[in-house]
Amino acid sequence: MSARDEILESIRARQLARTPKPTVYRAPPTESDPVEAFAKTLSAQYADVRLLDNMADVPAAIADILRGRNMAPMVHIAPDSELASLDLPNVEIRREPPGQFDAAVTLAPFAIAETGTLAYPSGKGAPASWHFRPVLEIAILRASSVVAELEDVLAALQNGLPSTLNLVSGPSRTGDIEQTMEVGAHGPKALAVLVVRS
Amino acid sequence: MNVDPKAFVANARAALADPQLRPALGRLKTHFGAGRAFAVHRYGDFESLRAAGKAIRDYAVTHLDELLVTFEQSVNARGGTVHWARDAAEARRLILAILQDVGAKTVTKGKSMVTEEIRLNPFLEANGIEPVETDLGEYIIQLRDEPPSHIIAPAFHLSKEQVAETFFAAHKDLDPARSLQERNALVQEARAVLRRRFEAADAGITGANFLSAKEGAAIIVTNEGNGDLTRLLPKTHIVVTGIEKVVADMNDVAVLLRLLPRSATGQAISTYVSVMAGPRGPGETDGPENFHVVLVDNGRSRLIGTEAQDVLRCIRCSACINHCPIYGAIGGHAYGATYMGPIGAALNPGTMGVANAAHHANASTFCGRCAEVCPVMIPLPRIMRHWRAVEYGQGLAPKAITRGLALWAFAAKRPALYRLGASIAARVLKMLGRGGSVRVVPIRNGWFAVRDFPVPQGTTFQQQWRARK
Repeated sequence: MSARDEILESIRARQLARTPKPTVYRAPPTESDPVEAFAKTLSAQYADVRLLDNMADVPAAIADILRGRNMAPMVHIAPDSELASLDLPNVEIRREPPGQFDAAVTLAPFAIAETGTLAYPSGKGAPASWHFRPVLEIAILRASSVVAELEDVLAALQNGLPSTLNLVSGPSRTGDIEQTMEVGAHGPKALAVLVVRS
Repeated sequence: MNVDPKAFVANARAALADPQLRPALGRLKTHFGAGRAFAVHRYGDFESLRAAGKAIRDYAVTHLDELLVTFEQSVNARGGTVHWARDAAEARRLILAILQDVGAKTVTKGKSMVTEEIRLNPFLEANGIEPVETDLGEYIIQLRDEPPSHIIAPAFHLSKEQVAETFFAAHKDLDPARSLQERNALVQEARAVLRRRFEAADAGITGANFLSAKEGAAIIVTNEGNGDLTRLLPKTHIVVTGIEKVVADMNDVAVLLRLLPRSATGQAISTYVSVMAGPRGPGETDGPENFHVVLVDNGRSRLIGTEAQDVLRCIRCSACINHCPIYGAIGGHAYGATYMGPIGAALNPGTMGVANAAHHANASTFCGRCAEVCPVMIPLPRIMRHWRAVEYGQGLAPKAITRGLALWAFAAKRPALYRLGASIAARVLKMLGRGGSVRVVPIRNGWFAVRDFPVPQGTTFQQQWRARK
């Protein structure tokens, strides 16, 4: 008998009464305004969250974030990204994957108010590794893309799950040395989010 | 330290005498315990969430056959491959075959307790493949050639000074004048060294916190992002995990994701949650080209339908470990097994055999804190008691215990004899008592080695009861 059949047989031979499929769990509701809840929760996770009135404010905000971190005026934006047409005066845009000292600008299709989380389905123009390669990730998020909870993101993925779905709730960190939180482990050392209201 | 569960007693004695362990064990309460308590308080109705998590995991364990078949079909539909391993040796062989098939020489690894359980790293090394642990804690203990001392914090037992020594010894190009006194300097040193390893790896191996049957996805939670670089940069991604990790669908995963980080580190969510479903899709420019999942049984299916079945609900959060007075005194290495603390005590006798791991089930005060904090309500003390009964039933318990219990049982079944014996004992012990305790009990090992016996009143409970009536 194959390992597969033997394991399944071992399970079936012992299986007792099957318990019913549990009823759907509803998490306690978050604060009234999802965008405010998102911004407040993610800000508490070492992220730099900025609210902008419209897309025209994005270039100045990106330049300001880079200046604030003493970084060269250069960002990586993935080819075929919805942001490919973004015009950044005075900031060089590169298309190849970012290196470990570079900044990447990404578009977050969803965000979750409950946990202050950006949700990135992978796909054409949305490479998953870009959330982990750079030293700084600048995420652009439309305020209308903020949903209440992860279940809403899952329901909104029309073509089902992509090959990778990344949920990002702050810069990379670790508590592995003396159980004390240190920011900047393998992924980005900083996460900035530009929430665009319209 | 002896990596053998049978050496538990000697290991525990050595751990109690190890001053290096004290500061680490002190952080259990101040860091993990306090963090969980605050997160639970902030969530509000955490009890309803626990009940939901228990129901989801119970459904999964009682439908394991169906869910595993569904999972396999879903992974196949996405262009991945599922492999089944009856035991550790078969799992090692399957993983090696996948790696050899793609000509892999170096493989990065995300944190995975199952690969610790099946002793994968020494096997890969013996077969000419270099495994590189990338979770910071796992990386540190790999350099030191030690097993993890905690499920979610493998280098829990080490101080930052010990980590610095380890890096100076292992990183040959490290400037000896460089200061590694600060924790963040250590983190940055590891980041720089491991980034090169990520970029050069031929394959990546991760574990899975959950498998989602309907979508054919493996889900991992990390704070570092190491699991993602392990999956996304090499050409081949292998997920190695236990058969019991599967749940019905992503909505079930969403509920469990509320329980896991809160119970583990006190976070509402880990920095990264990654849902990994198959190789890269059409039009994608990164992600693995090959996707494999190795499902490991290794004694798990044997627990179904037994008194210990509930232990299969475990989501490996470590809350029971963090709240255990035994782990809090001796740390993780003393157990000599991959899973330590209360979850180890409930799981190991079932998967490793009672003869090997009975010490773990005996190392409990039955205070019950583990069951109170378990996010999926596993009755851990009850399962430990079950293993004690099995040990006794198989005649494996120490002679002093079996003979003592036999003597007690003989008397307990004869009320007159019991009354007489108890009243003599109470009177004699009272006469021997000095300053509130009896110091001359002839048994000077076990319980009595570290505790004085309190002086009885001179009369037995039954005598006092009759006097009050």
